[in-house]
Amino acid sequence: MKLQDEFLKELQAIIGQANETVSVADGSRVVRGQIEQCELLAVAVSEFVLKTNELAGADISKLESASQSLCKRVNYLLEPISPIETDADGCVVQMRSNPPLQGDNSRCYYELFLRRGGSIELCRYEKQSGAARVSVPATLTHEVLGRLVADFDATVDEILAS
Amino acid sequence: MVMEIERDQHRFKQIVRGRIRENLRKYITHGEMIGRRGRDVVSIPVPQLDVPRFRFGKNGSGGVGQGDGDVGDPVGKPGEGPAGAGGAGSEPGSEHFMEVEVSLDELAAMLGDELELPRIEPKGAANITADKSKYNSIRQTGPESLRHFKRTYLNALRRQISTGNYVPDDPCVIPVKGDKQYRSWNDVPQPQVNAAVIYLMDVSGSMTDDQKEIVRTEAFWIDTWLASQYEGIKKRYIIHDAVAKEVDENTFYHTRESGGTRISSAYKVCDELIKRDFPVEDWNIYCFQFSDGDNWGDDNRQAFDLLSDRLLPASNIFCYGQVESPYGSGDFIDALGKQFGDHDSLILSEIPDKDGIYQSIKTFLGKGK
Repeated sequence: MKLQDEFLKELQAIIGQANETVSVADGSRVVRGQIEQCELLAVAVSEFVLKTNELAGADISKLESASQSLCKRVNYLLEPISPIETDADGCVVQMRSNPPLQGDNSRCYYELFLRRGGSIELCRYEKQSGAARVSVPATLTHEVLGRLVADFDATVDEILAS
Repeated sequence: MVMEIERDQHRFKQIVRGRIRENLRKYITHGEMIGRRGRDVVSIPVPQLDVPRFRFGKNGSGGVGQGDGDVGDPVGKPGEGPAGAGGAGSEPGSEHFMEVEVSLDELAAMLGDELELPRIEPKGAANITADKSKYNSIRQTGPESLRHFKRTYLNALRRQISTGNYVPDDPCVIPVKGDKQYRSWNDVPQPQVNAAVIYLMDVSGSMTDDQKEIVRTEAFWIDTWLASQYEGIKKRYIIHDAVAKEVDENTFYHTRESGGTRISSAYKVCDELIKRDFPVEDWNIYCFQFSDGDNWGDDNRQAFDLLSDRLLPASNIFCYGQVESPYGSGDFIDALGKQFGDHDSLILSEIPDKDGIYQSIKTFLGKGK
């Protein structure tokens, strides 16, 4: 809860500002968000990551199982998330919106990576038809961003406990 | 002399082929025919052909010059008169299709015409030989179906003249068993230009069944074209996610893995396969790779090294088709373009959906290599 509270407190401090990096730490866990715009209720975040060195010894089966739980827990984003690819050699699990959000002329989706070492990252992509996909800021309320911090934190705990 | 029925049959075939040509783009795109593929022919559903026929009216049920009425009364028109019972049907009418068989060679010719594909010029000399049966000799025994009529009668005539049984005023030649001659064959070694087609497909978690269907359809047409250009064609299949393996055709199209995407793993297996089974000096090698282009970042370097050092020099052409997944295309195709520019043997094509197959085939096979 410490990371979540601290992160929300930092967000309160930058309301009305743009292009800020918010970073909070609890022991070896660091949550960092690249905030494109912070408003009273919501923020546009282009990069959101929890880094820790506690996952250095995690194996792929633990990461896979933790990614399943993470996808179940994170059910409050625009689209449901599910594991898409697993790289056993690199010990990485990739999760994405499944299905992606289909617009008239574009598709949007979240992409999350859970890596040994380790880290949990989130970003959002948009693919216009006929163009290359680009990374776009995810617009999330303060509350949702706080929940993400808590869920990332809980995922690390789960891997360590397993 | 051509019989009437043969002429009609020929004309019917021409009509059917005309229909197929008209709709070839649809067949290329949707691949209905692939499931109906035989060894040398495919069955193609074409819309029912209307055959002109007589329609008989109801005799004695009215018409001009019959029934009641006086001179000068207007003739009744269709649609007039009291409405009958019953309403319009609610079921949609079904379109009837007829299946016609077309040989793969014919289909390839149509494909070549439609896409204006140049004929392939095989590289190098043909070093591989295969035995072919040629009917180039004569034997004393054999099946009656292979009896050599002229030689048999010539033998009979010789025999009759030598034995004094031939009467010029009554020229009757009757062969006996010993006169009979039969056509026979010899196995002749013939040089063959052979081609190996290697398909590589990404089966990682982000490739869905729709993408594989696109690959399957495109591969069918590529096979059809290449088989029409070469005597012997060998096909091999490689699937990969983070690791690659060689598989059979069925597994190739029906496997789904959840691993990550490391394209270099497929290139490695492909390189080993070429070294082991297809010496470059003897074979025309065609590689067709399909992926959604979501290669895991650090793998591009390794993939490019294998491609430039091993696969491109060994292949007639190396074609990369990037099939769009629900998440859009990855950036592998752009990275390839940046790395290799306009390399002579590398052909890139983006396939956004089924409609993109047509252009993609044209791009891949349009070089005539």
